[in-house]
Amino acid sequence: MIIKVNNLVKRYDDLIALDHFNLEVKEGEIFGLLGPNGSGKTTAINCILSLLKYDKGTIEVYGRPMAPDAYDIKRNIGIIMQNVAVFDELTVYENIDYFCGMYIKDKKKRRELVEEAIEFVELDSFRKFLPKKLSGGLLRRLNIACGIAHKPKLIILDEPTVAVDPQSRRKILEGIRKLNDDGATIVYTSHYMEEVEEICTRIAIMDKGKVIALGTKDELKGMINSGEKITVEILEHNPDILEGVRSLPNIVSAEFNDNMLVAKSRRGKNNLSALLEYLRSSQINVGRIYSEPPTLNDVFLEITGKELRDHA
Amino acid sequence: MFLHIYMYRLKCILRDKQNVFWTLMFPIILATLFYLAFSNLSNAESFTEIEVGIVDNEELREHPEFTEAVKSVPDLFNVTYTTKENAEKLLEDGEIEGYIHFDDGLKLFVKESGINETIIKSFLDDFLQTSSTISTIISQNPAAVQNGLPDSVFDRTDYLKAVPSGKAEPNTVVNYFYSLIAMACLYGSFSGLKEVLAMQGNLSYQGARVNMAPIHKAKIIIASMSAAVSFQLIAVTALLVYLIAVLRVDFGNQVGYIALTSIVSTITGVTFGTFISSVNRQSEGVKIGILIGSSMIMTFLSGMMYDKMKYIVHTKVPVLSYLNPANLITDSFYALYYFDTHARFFTNIALLCGYSVLFGTLTYLAVRRQRYASI
Repeated sequence: MIIKVNNLVKRYDDLIALDHFNLEVKEGEIFGLLGPNGSGKTTAINCILSLLKYDKGTIEVYGRPMAPDAYDIKRNIGIIMQNVAVFDELTVYENIDYFCGMYIKDKKKRRELVEEAIEFVELDSFRKFLPKKLSGGLLRRLNIACGIAHKPKLIILDEPTVAVDPQSRRKILEGIRKLNDDGATIVYTSHYMEEVEEICTRIAIMDKGKVIALGTKDELKGMINSGEKITVEILEHNPDILEGVRSLPNIVSAEFNDNMLVAKSRRGKNNLSALLEYLRSSQINVGRIYSEPPTLNDVFLEITGKELRDHA
Repeated sequence: MFLHIYMYRLKCILRDKQNVFWTLMFPIILATLFYLAFSNLSNAESFTEIEVGIVDNEELREHPEFTEAVKSVPDLFNVTYTTKENAEKLLEDGEIEGYIHFDDGLKLFVKESGINETIIKSFLDDFLQTSSTISTIISQNPAAVQNGLPDSVFDRTDYLKAVPSGKAEPNTVVNYFYSLIAMACLYGSFSGLKEVLAMQGNLSYQGARVNMAPIHKAKIIIASMSAAVSFQLIAVTALLVYLIAVLRVDFGNQVGYIALTSIVSTITGVTFGTFISSVNRQSEGVKIGILIGSSMIMTFLSGMMYDKMKYIVHTKVPVLSYLNPANLITDSFYALYYFDTHARFFTNIALLCGYSVLFGTLTYLAVRRQRYASI
C-alpha cells in the first residue's frame, strides 16, 4: 500500500473538514478523489503531505508514518497543487530547475530531468518565458512540470485542470496516463466527474469530509439503483404518453424536454426495448434515440440527494 | 543545495522591479534631493563678516581702547570708518548692517533687527560692561592699575578643553545622510519579508511546494536570508558610493568601519523583515504596511525628518535610543564621524548584532514548524 489513511479527523474551529476519513492507495493505480468543492479533498491531500495539522488519525506513506521531516518519503513524492505554485521572476526553465534542484543535487542529471519535463509538458518553445507571459493552460503545464521533474514514484495532482482550456486539459490527462504507464502511482482529485471516470482506475467519492463510496467506476455505478437514461425524439408531440411510459416496469420518471422524451430507469435489463415496444404499440412515431448508462453524478445524487455542482 | 537555493532566490530578488526600485533607486533619488536641498542650507550656515560703519570723529579718537577692541575681532567685522552722513547713506543703501557713533556715549544705529545687528549690539554691550568694570576698579582701588588688573579684565579664559574630534568638520547636514543610509539598510526588511513569504506553506503556494521538498527548513531560511542580505548590501554599497564619490558627502576617513556598519545594519534590516513577516499571519499587504510604518517611525525617531528629534529622544526617553535599530545605525555613523574613540560605535554595533541574532532566532522559531493549522 502506498498511502494508508486511518480515521483522519481535521477540524477548523467548529467545522469538521475531515470526518474519520479513510483511504488506501495501491501501487501503480490512478486513484481518483471525486467530490464537490468543499468536500475535503484538498484538506485530505494537505494532511497526507504533512502540510496541515490534524486532530486525530494516522497517515502512512510507503508503510511509514508521514511527517514533515520524513525526507526519504518526500523525495519520492511529486505534488501539483490546485493553485499554480511557481515564481513570477523565474523563467519556465528556471522554475522547473529550481524545484527539481531541491530533490536532485547532481547538475548534469538535473539538466536532463528538466529537459525531459519541458518536453513532457510541451513547453519547449516557452522555456525562456516568464510565467506572466503564459496562458492559463500553459501555466498549468508548467505547474505540472515543476511537480514531476524529479521523477517521483507517487504523484499527487490536486484539481490540475481547473480553469484550463479543453486542449490543455486533454494534454494534461494524456500526460497523467503516460506518467502512470511509466510506473508512477497517481492520486488525482477533481470535482469534474468526466475526468475522474476517464482516467482513474479506482475512485473514492467524498462528501462532507467522508468517503461515501469507493471502487472502480463500474463498481460505483453498480452500487445504485439507477439504470440508464433513455432519450427519445417524439415526432408528434403527445403529452398523454407520459402516463403510459411511467407505468412501464423499471421506469422511475418520464418527462418532456421540448419534443424529447426523457425517461430514467431502474437498474435492469431490456429497459430500452420495453420503452420502444410501448411507443411502437401506441403508434407513436419516433426520431433519434439515445441511451446513457448511469454516471458518477447519478451515483453521487443517489447517495447524497444532491448533484455534483460543476461539470467539465 | 545551499548555493542552488541562494542563487535562485537572489535572481528572484534582483528581478523584482518594485523591490529594486525601492531598495536601490529610491535611496539614491532621495540622496540627490537631500543634497540639492541641504547644500543651500550649508551655505546659509557659513558665517561671513558683518559690514559695520564707525563714525570717525573726535570723541572716537578719545577712546582708542574701543578702536583696539574692534581690531581684536578681525573675523567678526568688516569696518568702514566714515562720516556720519556717509554712514547713514551706507545704512540706507544696505551696504552696512549698522553704524556706531560716539556722540556723548556709544550709540548704535541699525535699520532693522536681525542676527547681525544683535551681534553688533552684543559686542558693544560687552565693551561697555568691561569699560564699566575697569572704571569701578580704578575708582575703588587705584593701585590695581599698577598691578595690571585692568588688562586681565580683557582676558578670556576657556574652561572647555578642546579634544581632537575626528577627521571631519562638524556638519549637521551629514546627519540626514546617516538617516538615509539607515533607511536604506532597513529597507532590507522588504527583501526579508518576501523571502519568508516564499518559504512558508501557509503564506504562499510556492512556499507549500518548497515545504514538500526534502530539505531542512534551516537550510532554506539561511540560503534565502543570505540572498536578501547580499542584494541589500549591493544596494547600500551603491548608495554609499554615490554619496561619497558623486555627491562628495564627507563621512570622515574610516571606510572599514563604515563598511562594517553597513553590513551589520543590513543584516539587522533583513532579519527585522523576516521577523515581522513570520510572526503575524496577515496578508502580504498588511505585512508590508507594518514594515513601512515601523521603518518610518524608527527613522523619524532617529532624526531623518526632524534633526532635533534624535536629541529629544536621547534626553527625554533615552532607552528608546537603544531600542530603535534605525537610531543605532545613524548613531554608529555619527560616532564614527565625530569621535576618535570607538567605544560608542562598538556599543551600537554590538546592539545591532544582538538585534540581528534576536530577530533571526525569532524568525527561525516561527517558521521552523512545517505543519500548519490551515493553508
